[in-house]
Amino acid sequence: MYALALIRTFQAGLKSLRLHKLRSGLTMLGMIIGVGAVIALVAIGEGASHDAQEEIRALGAKNVIIRSIKPPSMREQMHGDWESFFRRWMAFYGLKRTDATRIKDTVPGVSRVLPMLTKRMNAVHDRREVGCQLIGTFPYYPEFTQAEMVAGHFLNTAEENTKASACVISLSLAERLFAGHNPLAEEIVVRGYESEQVFQVKGILRERADIEKLPQLPGSMGQTIAANVYIPLSTFKSLYGERNVDRSVGNLVLEAVELSEIRVEFDTVEDVLPALPLIDEALKAGRDERDFEIVVPIQEMVALRNQKARDTRMLLYIACISLLVGGIGIMNIMLATVTERTQEIGVRRALGATRLNITVQFLVETLLLCLVGGAIGVSGGWAFAEFREFLTGDSTIVKAWSVIMAFGLSVLIGLVFGLYPARRAAHLDPIEALRHA
Amino acid sequence: MADRNIIEIRNLTKIYDLGAIQVPALKGLNFEIEEGSYTAIMGPSGSGKSTLLNILGCLDRPTAGAYILGNDDVAHMSDKELSGVRGARIGFIFQSYNLIQQLNVIENIHVPLFYQGKDISDYYDHCEKLAQKVGLGDRLDHRPMELSGGQQQRVAVARSLVNEPLMLLADEPTGNLDSTTEQEILDILDELHAEGRTLLVVTHDDAVAERASRVIHLKDGQVDKDIRKQDSDRKSENQFQEA
Ligand SMILES: Nc1ncnc2c1ncn2[C@@H]1O[C@H](COP(=O)(O)OP(=O)(O)OP(=O)(O)O)[C@@H](O)[C@H]1O
Ligand SMILES: [Mg+2]
Repeated sequence: MYALALIRTFQAGLKSLRLHKLRSGLTMLGMIIGVGAVIALVAIGEGASHDAQEEIRALGAKNVIIRSIKPPSMREQMHGDWESFFRRWMAFYGLKRTDATRIKDTVPGVSRVLPMLTKRMNAVHDRREVGCQLIGTFPYYPEFTQAEMVAGHFLNTAEENTKASACVISLSLAERLFAGHNPLAEEIVVRGYESEQVFQVKGILRERADIEKLPQLPGSMGQTIAANVYIPLSTFKSLYGERNVDRSVGNLVLEAVELSEIRVEFDTVEDVLPALPLIDEALKAGRDERDFEIVVPIQEMVALRNQKARDTRMLLYIACISLLVGGIGIMNIMLATVTERTQEIGVRRALGATRLNITVQFLVETLLLCLVGGAIGVSGGWAFAEFREFLTGDSTIVKAWSVIMAFGLSVLIGLVFGLYPARRAAHLDPIEALRHA
Repeated sequence: MADRNIIEIRNLTKIYDLGAIQVPALKGLNFEIEEGSYTAIMGPSGSGKSTLLNILGCLDRPTAGAYILGNDDVAHMSDKELSGVRGARIGFIFQSYNLIQQLNVIENIHVPLFYQGKDISDYYDHCEKLAQKVGLGDRLDHRPMELSGGQQQRVAVARSLVNEPLMLLADEPTGNLDSTTEQEILDILDELHAEGRTLLVVTHDDAVAERASRVIHLKDGQVDKDIRKQDSDRKSENQFQEA
């Protein structure tokens, strides 16, 4: 019986809101904008963070990436003396193969270590020449980087053991060098400053877009080299020596780096963070300058998650403020409505309505304003998010919690800001109210 | 006619306390209203007619004295209890009709029942019969705005009957109507009286008072005159008027 009476009250509330469509609409506007903003902003934020997390996951949550960088002493201004000139001109620094083995041996929880050597070269095939990056690495490179074979196979153990002149090229290089025809089993020439080597193409690799930027030569940071040629590490070493000397023509710098990058894979994600000091320890041995940097995807993931939590909190504050403003607007209109309908209130009281009946009636009307406003806001925000995704291609994710929270807040606002006008209506003196013109 | 009393008031007093001054509006009234009677309350402006009617209608409480409605002392009831009494036992007819604008005829008639917890779907026929009784059977879904003053007051009369009240209270029910419409409404009230309903009407208008079986004159918050007419007298007067 009570339920039915409440339903009737809601129906009556809808009726009186429909009576003043424009006013109801304008009253709800604050609510609509507030709720819509929450839904849309949360969806965009979630989408952006989802994309970023995907990128980091592609780097491998179980991985730690150690890269050679130029130590501070080689980056400082030249002093004019021969030693400083020589140090800059002929720079020996960076990770060594012994670092890789020491990490593998001393750090617990390490399952595999992937050393990488890189060198800037040119790839030549049939009169086409494309600048490329030559990478010497182990057969399990694709698993580490979640790269995917498009054709053929990646370098295998046999090729590694025999120092074979085999190579795998990246998809974009294949497209540029072979222009349509099948590169498999074809030969390419890798030409450097003072060397020229022939390799047979065994496979084509599609890298994760973001990975391609990573195995870059020190000093060429920020420059995207999408054209990669992978050869066995053993081949690389036997062809180009223990020390990888990179001569950049033009700026006359001679750099020698033994390993440009070491990737460390752990058994489980949990092993990663506790092992970081040990990795540092292992690398500190035998160097007096820090000539490497450590990238920890899992740490970035945590940082990202924290950043996201901060952003979300920020959004919630903004949402709460805008909903508060919307709520005050609604309260204002409801107070005006109560004044305007004073006589109706008196009549209802004379006809048997208790104070509670009147309170519920006006509370329901406020609640309806908020709920309808909330519903329009949710659909508007949702539509905006979808539209943005359609336009920009960035993913947007409408979170269930944001919808529930927006609705919950609307109801809360309705209750809080509806209560005062409703109680004011209920506590009008029936006689005074009846006399009100 | 030794009917049972519907209303008994003893030493009924109302003093409006305005802080600095106190305005005595009713100064110790005593009378009874019998079941089935038709009483007019008259008196000059400011004599306390509306104040009395508000107390009798349980919209207000007396400052002192007793008010027995039916068998209950309602002078000391809480606001919630008074709401219940108003909704269940009293039918109000106002000078300015006081229909609810966003509701149609049938919904307006139903309003008192809603506050008695009775749903419109169960009482639609009942409300429709009342609408037909006051001659608005063909206007059920009209809004008050679409009705004339007389028609609105008919709806108000139907609404006052919907909860089968102990008595009907009307404050200047024809005050806003022209004389022909006034006659129509008064005829309906006569009809209700004939059915045995108890009517209490505040009025300035002798035409209204003529139809009542009893006229209580108030003056300065006291009963000035209390005139009971024989039923037969009243009827013959009516016949004379209509002829
Ligand atoms: N709310 C109030 N506060 C103070 N005094 C009031 C109030 N209501 C009525 N009064 C006073 O009580 C007295 C009786 O008023 P009431 O309205 O009952 O007169 P009435 O007989 O209905 O007059 P009218 O014929 O003009 O309607 C008047 O002196 C009036 O000023
Ligand atoms: Mg009056």
